[in-house]
Amino acid sequence: MKADDERYREWKGGYRSYDLVKEASIALGIVLAIAVVLTILFSSPDEKSSTVQSWARSDPVDFVTTATRELDGSSASGRYGPPYNHASGSVQHAWFLHPQRWLGVSHPVNNPEDFVLAPLRAITGQPGLQSAVGTYESASANQQTAWTSAYEKGLMKAKVAAGNSISVPAGKYGPLPAMMTSLLSFAQGGGLDGALLASRQFYQTDYTKPLLFMADSAGGVALANRAMAEHLLGTQWGMMNETGSYPGQVWLWLYTFWYQVKPFQGHNADLLVLLVMGALSLALVLIPFIPGVRDIPQWIPVHRIIWRDHYRASTG
Amino acid sequence: MAAIFNLSHHPSYAHWHFFQMSVPNVIVIVVMLVVFAIAILVRLPGAER
Amino acid sequence: MSTTSWTARVRERAVAALPPDKLLPDKQPSYVTSGIYIFGVLSLASLVVIIASGSILALKGPAWWHFTGVGHFFNSIHLWSVELFFFFMVIHLWGKYWMAAWRGGRARVWITGAVTFLIAIPCAFTGYLSQQNFDSQWISTQAKDAINASGIGAFFNVLNFGQMYSYHVFLLPALVVAIVIAHILLVRKHGVVPPFEPRELKAKVAATEPPADAESRS
Repeated sequence: MKADDERYREWKGGYRSYDLVKEASIALGIVLAIAVVLTILFSSPDEKSSTVQSWARSDPVDFVTTATRELDGSSASGRYGPPYNHASGSVQHAWFLHPQRWLGVSHPVNNPEDFVLAPLRAITGQPGLQSAVGTYESASANQQTAWTSAYEKGLMKAKVAAGNSISVPAGKYGPLPAMMTSLLSFAQGGGLDGALLASRQFYQTDYTKPLLFMADSAGGVALANRAMAEHLLGTQWGMMNETGSYPGQVWLWLYTFWYQVKPFQGHNADLLVLLVMGALSLALVLIPFIPGVRDIPQWIPVHRIIWRDHYRASTG
Repeated sequence: MAAIFNLSHHPSYAHWHFFQMSVPNVIVIVVMLVVFAIAILVRLPGAER
Repeated sequence: MSTTSWTARVRERAVAALPPDKLLPDKQPSYVTSGIYIFGVLSLASLVVIIASGSILALKGPAWWHFTGVGHFFNSIHLWSVELFFFFMVIHLWGKYWMAAWRGGRARVWITGAVTFLIAIPCAFTGYLSQQNFDSQWISTQAKDAINASGIGAFFNVLNFGQMYSYHVFLLPALVVAIVIAHILLVRKHGVVPPFEPRELKAKVAATEPPADAESRS
């Protein structure tokens, strides 16, 4: 095989003249022309971002439900695990591989503090609110859980009330109604978007907190419902799609394919798909060394079409 | 800058068993296959027979 | 010729591997006649348009394209040139596969090409995250689960716009360009892969080959 391969090392036959720089220049002109034509015909998509404000305004009940779940840690990110916290709700493993655990909590998020208590404490001129926050913080863990559980049950029957607030059936909610009324109003006014962003320093480029908060939306109001309408969910082969009618990421077809297939639909789907695609990607790179795969081009001779002039000239 | 064809609306989707692909993506894939077929059949300009 | 000067050694190795007429040849093998051979240079041209349009977007910062027609124009050029890059690159890959272009010591040419494709994917991914619109919000909150599951999320936070923008505008394009340069230099060094020799042709060549003691050029 090696000796056979050696005969292809250098071409000892004829050459013809060829202008490499001219060809590259023409190619550049062609690609630029096609890109400009496609731009003029189709432009590019730009769907405006969701905000915590737009979410709180469009579905105040969902917003307050999510905020309550952040308080008791039962939201998706509250139960997530590394890199945000020490829970285990979204921790994946494959056989003996536990990379998510091994790499640990590198981006700590304190859900009750970051999403509810700290923003509320920053609101000035409302002594009643600060008193409610103090009552909540000084209560025992069991008492806090009793309040949040009761409130979450009540919220299932909540309705939107005057001024885009909410009205919840009476119940033993402790200081929560006062806290959530203020948080809702703060969010609807746009203050919470900024408060979630600017925490450690003035300049911010890290959107971890506002994005986790919106992704935690109990009914998928902030992000998931929009995504479903645009066919961007995993079950809709969304990884390949783009908003609107634009072509998307066609090259991700095999990546998203696995998610539609049985063994890859459980809790550890993401890690398993990554491992499979990692192996296949390595195989792609190493095709020259894989017997069988590297021989297919000889068995299925597409090359006879590509080099038909050469073969005709050689045997003629 | 307004485009000549507005692609902001929802596309149609092609379904086959559990395969689901937007028509624009199907078009891209089909065009790639057609272009590949044409490419291996045609000759470069200046290439002699 | 100095054997101790690093500069001289590097120069001599470079010139030996790629003399000027190999680096910028003005002739190509007679078997290069098929249209499939243009897809490498089309992929390269697409990459040039991507970088040029991306540079203009970078000049004005990430928010510019949302608020001006000119900005949106260059964003569209950038998007379509990315689609063209993957379009041409995949067709180029198909062609090279069916030609078994790794033959004759050209494994590294195939490897650098495949690695370019694989690195272009996260480069495009960080681009989607840099858009600062709903697409970025959805893609980041979805992708985080796979990235976190692999442990990569510990040092690559897809929800951190600043980090993703840095990867997209500098780190990953630099890596793509470096590997593409290696790929092109390897093509120039090894030459375009010769055709398969079918059995009838092999027999004919064997029948007309000079005797075993004749010298062969390296």
